[in-house]
Amino acid sequence: MIPEVTRLIERFDQLGYVVEEELATVLLLMLKLEKPLLLEGPPGVGKTEAAHIIANHLDTKLIRLQCYEGLDINSAVYEWNYQKQLLSIKINEEAQLTSEEKEAHIFSEDFLLKRPLLQAITATEKAPVLLIDEIDRADEEFEAFLLELLSAFQMSIPEMGTIKATHKPIVVLTSNRTRELSDALKRRCLYHWVEYPDFQKELNIIQKHLPELDQQLTSDLVRFVQYLRDLKLDKSPGIAESIDWANGLAALGARSLSEEYVKATLGCVLKSDNDIEYVKSQQLEEVLTNVE
Amino acid sequence: MNTTHYTNYDSINEAVVGFNDYCRTSSELGIGINHSKEALIAASQGFINDRQSFRYGLRSLYCTCQEEYPVFDKLFDIYWRKKKHTYSPTTRKKGSSNITKKSKGSVVMMGFGDTEKDEDQKEDARNVTGANRMESLKYTDFSKVSSIDNDLLDELVEKLLRQMNQRLKRRLSTSRDGRIDLRRTIRKNLSHGDDFVNLVKKNRRLEKYRLNILLDVSGSMDKYSFYLLKFIWSLKSNFRQIEAFIFSTKLVRITDHVDQAEVSMAMIQMSQHADNWSSGTKIGECLLDFNERYGKRVLNGKSITIILSDGLDTGDPEVLSTEVQKIKLRTNKLVWLNPLKGMKGYQPLAKGMKTALPLVDTFSSAHNLDSLLELENILSHV
Repeated sequence: MIPEVTRLIERFDQLGYVVEEELATVLLLMLKLEKPLLLEGPPGVGKTEAAHIIANHLDTKLIRLQCYEGLDINSAVYEWNYQKQLLSIKINEEAQLTSEEKEAHIFSEDFLLKRPLLQAITATEKAPVLLIDEIDRADEEFEAFLLELLSAFQMSIPEMGTIKATHKPIVVLTSNRTRELSDALKRRCLYHWVEYPDFQKELNIIQKHLPELDQQLTSDLVRFVQYLRDLKLDKSPGIAESIDWANGLAALGARSLSEEYVKATLGCVLKSDNDIEYVKSQQLEEVLTNVE
Repeated sequence: MNTTHYTNYDSINEAVVGFNDYCRTSSELGIGINHSKEALIAASQGFINDRQSFRYGLRSLYCTCQEEYPVFDKLFDIYWRKKKHTYSPTTRKKGSSNITKKSKGSVVMMGFGDTEKDEDQKEDARNVTGANRMESLKYTDFSKVSSIDNDLLDELVEKLLRQMNQRLKRRLSTSRDGRIDLRRTIRKNLSHGDDFVNLVKKNRRLEKYRLNILLDVSGSMDKYSFYLLKFIWSLKSNFRQIEAFIFSTKLVRITDHVDQAEVSMAMIQMSQHADNWSSGTKIGECLLDFNERYGKRVLNGKSITIILSDGLDTGDPEVLSTEVQKIKLRTNKLVWLNPLKGMKGYQPLAKGMKTALPLVDTFSSAHNLDSLLELENILSHV
């Protein structure tokens, strides 16, 4: 490990994040190369968290764009404030203005609603972290549009002209891999596959989040979650689920991971009916003794 | 010069560029000049001081999906290994010498280039000649199409499959009817002051579906698999997104090979990757594999899944039924095409077919071109 990576991991640790060596190395490289980072992996393994880490580390603003099917320029980049425009047209009706002047007026920055991507580009103080979450949910057209943004960091608004980034934002993209992203997009990014954490890492994370929870209970819980991941369930639990579960057990005041507690709180960690039925049908007692 | 090891270069910079070169020539990681530039920056930023950091850094740079990690790791290990070996293994490039030998065997099995069989087939095909050769070809059972007619068939297939279906999208674009598009309306009516004379509207527009095809290439499907594969290939050029898999006892993803411009070349490449042509069938297990490995990626709300199989299964019908159920839950439409259905008096009695049938949206035959063209109707009514 090179000293810079070690320092970065320590810094993250102080900020309250557990980051393993590989991700830290990739994050460092991302900052050095000023290249977007694409994080792929199953849901709930902390992909979004990585963007928060970077924003926290650099002490800068995090701008988040949540993607969904049908996402278009209007909700991702900018939109004109139509109500305001209409009012303005009405007010200026009597004014002796040419239609060019009217147009210039209502298509000025005052009437512009900035959406995440435009916000990221026009940020004035410091380069912000731009998180484009679940890019795989947006459609291909949007992906193609992103390419322009990611390579040139500028965008054009027909009524106003081209806007260039004042500070090059640090871009993090995440994908759950519900579809394959285009090669062109991938080529512009660094790539990192986020795997489920190993026992030690997950234990550290949960201890960070819930330091007051019983040590033995925490490690049993982590071992149980790790066991669940090996079961090939429909929806394997991620770190988010483990934390939820730990929270749930803490709220119930559990001291140890007994069969009763597991059955009562399984919904925290498994989100599919089939999976819950399946796990309940297993010999939980046996599993628990094995886990311990 | 042996360029598979860093010690063959004089400086670090050259070695890094050499690695870039090595990766490009020995693997299919899409590596360009940019990579070389960025790898050099990474090296000069101190990443090269530690082997593991350098590996992690370059891996994030060179790979574009998780599946490429092992390929990269291997290349990295060979190139940056500590001590130079006298014998240095080279990763074989796809498309090199061992193709001919292997492909020959499997291509014959696909009913392609098997001369003796051809003679009989020609005979059979002649017997169904009608008034119009093209027309008759459409109805000829694939197992009886002669190799002479192959070209004609190709032509026909391409002509007929050019137009395929579309679907409604959530995205809006300007159209005659639909919701009012305020943005365009305001722009268009600026000259009228505050009176909106012309309204611009927007509506959902059509988009093509994603198509997933699972082709059975087991022994019992032998006579058909070649044509069905051809069919998949022609679909590829007409659909924007298509995922193709072949299976018998094992599942193989062939999407990348279907991408080839030349159909026979694609066939040869595909056959190399499928060492399971003409073997037994375990539909259930293969679908299980499909769901596990590709399910989340290729099955989503806007997909149609087509299974091309005769349903003669040697696996557990229980598994088959749960897996088909899983696919059905995640796809818009599940179509099962069975070449045997074209036979007179066929009943879906085979164990596998019987279990899967109630779960399938459309069950149709696929023994000749006409029946494949039926698919268009099926696809357009989703």
